[in-house]
Amino acid sequence: MKKKLVSLVMAAAMAASVAALPAFAGETEAAVDPSQDSGEIYMFIASPEYADAINTLIDDYKKVAPNVTINYETTQNDYPTLLKAKINSGDVPDIFSSTSGKEIDTYLEYSLDLSDQPLMNTIDPGVASAMASAKEGGGMYGIAIKGNYFGMIYNEDVLKDAGVDKVPETTEELKAACDKIKSAGYTPFTTGFMEWWVYKHVAQHFVDAAAKAAGISAADLVASIQKGEKSIKDYPIACDNFFDFIDYAVKNGDDKPLETDLAGEEQAFASGKVAFMLGQGAWVEADLKKINPDLKIGFAGYPVDDKAEDAQVISGSDQALRINKDSKNLQAVLNFINWWYTSDEGQAWFTDVAGVVPPVKSDKASDFVIIEQGKKLAEEKGSGELAIVDSTDSFHQVFGEAMQSYIAGTTSKEDTIKTIDEQCAAIDGPNAQ
Amino acid sequence: MRRKTRQRLSHIILVVILTVIALLYIYPVALMFMNSVKPFGEVIATPVSLPKKPTFGNYLYVGEKIQYFRLLWNNVMITVIGIIGIVFFSSLAAYICDRRRTKYTKFIYTLLITPMLIPFQTIMITLLKAMNIIHLNNSRVGLGIQYWGFGIPMATFIFYNFMATIPRDLDEAATVDGATTWQTYRMVIFPLLKSVTVTVIVLDVMWIWNDFLLPLLMVNSNNKTKTLVLAAYTFVGQMNTQWQYAMVGMVMAVFPSILVFIFLQKYIVEGVVAGAVKG
Amino acid sequence: MKRSSMKKKKGLENVLFTIPAVILVCMVMYIPFVMSGYYSLTRWNGIAKQPVFIGLENFKTILSGSDSFLSAMWFTIRYTFFFVIVSNVAALALAVALTKRFRLANLYRGLFFIPYIMSMTIVGFIWKFIFTSGFKKFFEVTGWGFWNLSWLGNPSMAFWSVTIVGIWQSLGFYIVLYIAGLQAVPKDIIEAAYVDGASRRQTFFKVTVPLLGPSMTTCVFMSLTNGLKVFDIILALTKGGPGQSTYSATLSIYNEAFTRNNYGLGSAQAILYFVFVLVITQLTLKMMSRKEVAL
Repeated sequence: MKKKLVSLVMAAAMAASVAALPAFAGETEAAVDPSQDSGEIYMFIASPEYADAINTLIDDYKKVAPNVTINYETTQNDYPTLLKAKINSGDVPDIFSSTSGKEIDTYLEYSLDLSDQPLMNTIDPGVASAMASAKEGGGMYGIAIKGNYFGMIYNEDVLKDAGVDKVPETTEELKAACDKIKSAGYTPFTTGFMEWWVYKHVAQHFVDAAAKAAGISAADLVASIQKGEKSIKDYPIACDNFFDFIDYAVKNGDDKPLETDLAGEEQAFASGKVAFMLGQGAWVEADLKKINPDLKIGFAGYPVDDKAEDAQVISGSDQALRINKDSKNLQAVLNFINWWYTSDEGQAWFTDVAGVVPPVKSDKASDFVIIEQGKKLAEEKGSGELAIVDSTDSFHQVFGEAMQSYIAGTTSKEDTIKTIDEQCAAIDGPNAQ
Repeated sequence: MRRKTRQRLSHIILVVILTVIALLYIYPVALMFMNSVKPFGEVIATPVSLPKKPTFGNYLYVGEKIQYFRLLWNNVMITVIGIIGIVFFSSLAAYICDRRRTKYTKFIYTLLITPMLIPFQTIMITLLKAMNIIHLNNSRVGLGIQYWGFGIPMATFIFYNFMATIPRDLDEAATVDGATTWQTYRMVIFPLLKSVTVTVIVLDVMWIWNDFLLPLLMVNSNNKTKTLVLAAYTFVGQMNTQWQYAMVGMVMAVFPSILVFIFLQKYIVEGVVAGAVKG
Repeated sequence: MKRSSMKKKKGLENVLFTIPAVILVCMVMYIPFVMSGYYSLTRWNGIAKQPVFIGLENFKTILSGSDSFLSAMWFTIRYTFFFVIVSNVAALALAVALTKRFRLANLYRGLFFIPYIMSMTIVGFIWKFIFTSGFKKFFEVTGWGFWNLSWLGNPSMAFWSVTIVGIWQSLGFYIVLYIAGLQAVPKDIIEAAYVDGASRRQTFFKVTVPLLGPSMTTCVFMSLTNGLKVFDIILALTKGGPGQSTYSATLSIYNEAFTRNNYGLGSAQAILYFVFVLVITQLTLKMMSRKEVAL
């Protein structure tokens, strides 16, 4: 019986394998000229919102390299899980995505160092720095679909109507402004606190200011907590100022803060009855304009303490595209991304087709207010460090949940701080897996 | 006379109660349809209001974008392959397990239904690894075959429990008449299972047709093998979701399977088993 | 002699007719499950090429008590309790009503089934809007305070919201099963009961319900496993929040394995949870089949 079973399985397996012989047309000989390339590139990345734009990019590249076929797959739901499944089944995509910063090293074993590629000449330095490995020897392990701006979005008309002539830059100014906004009959904040990632976007501004006050970089500040050497309590701006800000936003924000998700936040802000939108950035502008085309959007840093210069916007890229270093068709893949980042057509794609903050050095103007104001503010006041990438999203999710419990009143501030300290060390610390 | 009025009254009350409950079902579903003919801005700003100016442009856009009819064919193919195998293998196994109660069949029955308890998410990584080895991934037929394995536990369980309602005399009589086990199954048992077979088909069509995670894992990488639900999800991102298109995609994906349901439920209602047993 | 060859033939048939199903199930469920069982003995993030073998370390970690998994278990048990009872009672009642002849019966039957096949992301999205914008409107119209509660934002309310939507979503599935069962009840037995002078209620509880035994076992068992495996509806509605108040056991396992990159620990949790579910369902099945026989 056993024999029969084995042979049955074998037969089935053989039949199946004949039916589905993998069609590898991969060639690895070096060819600097993309038009000589051939074969397939398998690109499996997150961010389905750029699917249309990326298909256009692929069509454009077909004209440059007619014999290269790019198989593009995208999903948002369960992306990390699927990527892990593919990697483990030996089917590592030629191009895949992860978050930048801390997670660069998580996928290092599979990822190619791009330091000696031509695209290094054109990539935006802010973007490139988020792609660096923290391991000895460094290296640059990714590129980005887009740069990004993070900050506080405000409604110009509401501020004007309430008699607030200057966008608040300090905590004092913010409170004064909110009093005026309330007495004019508007709601000061909409917060989106149902989403765990809103908290990390807000918190990084406080972390930046706290690091500046301590005379270290934000990366070092986060690292000191990850190593368990410090508590966030040791950095009053990141701790007390942040908690006070959250308290204040909850008190002066949505009726049901923990029930407001991204869509709810957009709904509230676009209604024109709310002054400030928290935890968002450049990506919401197109949506807001679709809901309410007359909305006058402004963009600024968060008032985090009593120093106006600390209210900075943050720019950089929190997403990375990685190149599989064992790709069967590596040269074709490299030619593709170099073309994307260095050719005129490739560069123009970012602003003209995808409508994103270009991750390359570019002086092209953008139609988006947030991008333009972000650029201007970054030039005037400098932009803050992209501190969210110093922790993994694994930690950020736990952090968001801890803050939700705090807002719901199920945990005290003291316990929440303890959870944050512990989980930061447990998940991202040197002893983590 | 009085009895009749009372019956009519209770009938009316019944219909009223059912209608109230039905409203709980109509409302969200109606919201989905309503929002599928709105532009993005209206979906977010006034989700529970009627559309100001309904537009079917969303349907045209999505239909073209996802190559609707091509993906429809993929869905049909995967579902049909899946259903045939599930019904055949499980009814056969359930028949043996119910009629021949030996140690072996008891063990097999437990072995077959226990996987219902395994949460799919916990085997995702290793499943893809295994399917990669035997080349059942990246293909519609391969996915259909995988559904056999995933569908058998529940189907066997349902068949097994309904097998008890078929009198044993029937198949014993067939055996006495000299029919082989296979003939008994094919000529006597399977026809009597018609009503429960339709139930299994309905449940499994709905599941396979609208399944998300397994196709995502197995056939998402190529437009030639994608399914409708996967295509609808292209509009869902973490920070930018085009809800109006996602809803259109969902309506268009779900609609054919509802037609199948309406068509098949006639058979469930007619109560084939009861009639057959009597006859 | 003849008898034993007959027995042998029967034994062979038993194997032959069941083995295809067994192979298929093993292929997609058992083999992957056992493979991931191996990882429960390792420290592995799901990404690195070489998992580190650590023996039973992961199991020790779990049994020494991680609070979040225990609270997720407690959530799941409460959820399953309400889910099984309400789903079965409501589905049976609706199935009985829907097998009566009236004009809208067919339409309703289809209607109840729709949520079961709708994508969870869309169900979650729509219900979020109902809980927020919809309830706000109902509150404005009726002035009843409970519309104005924070149904998803308050940790204890969120439990009920998830449970209600969970039952709402899958009720159609059980209705279909009960309808099939009701149709299998021979009409003549029921008529005989009426002839003997039994009232409708008596007939239903004394004749129909006992004859529904098999479908009841099916439905209770299925609702039990589905309740214990609850996952998508939570992900779509609350993502486990606010805080971690609506984490179910499976969501917690999934998070441990994939979000927190502890695939080894997650696999160990999955195995322990599988054993737990196995015991619960077997006990329930035993109880139900004893009842069935007694009837």
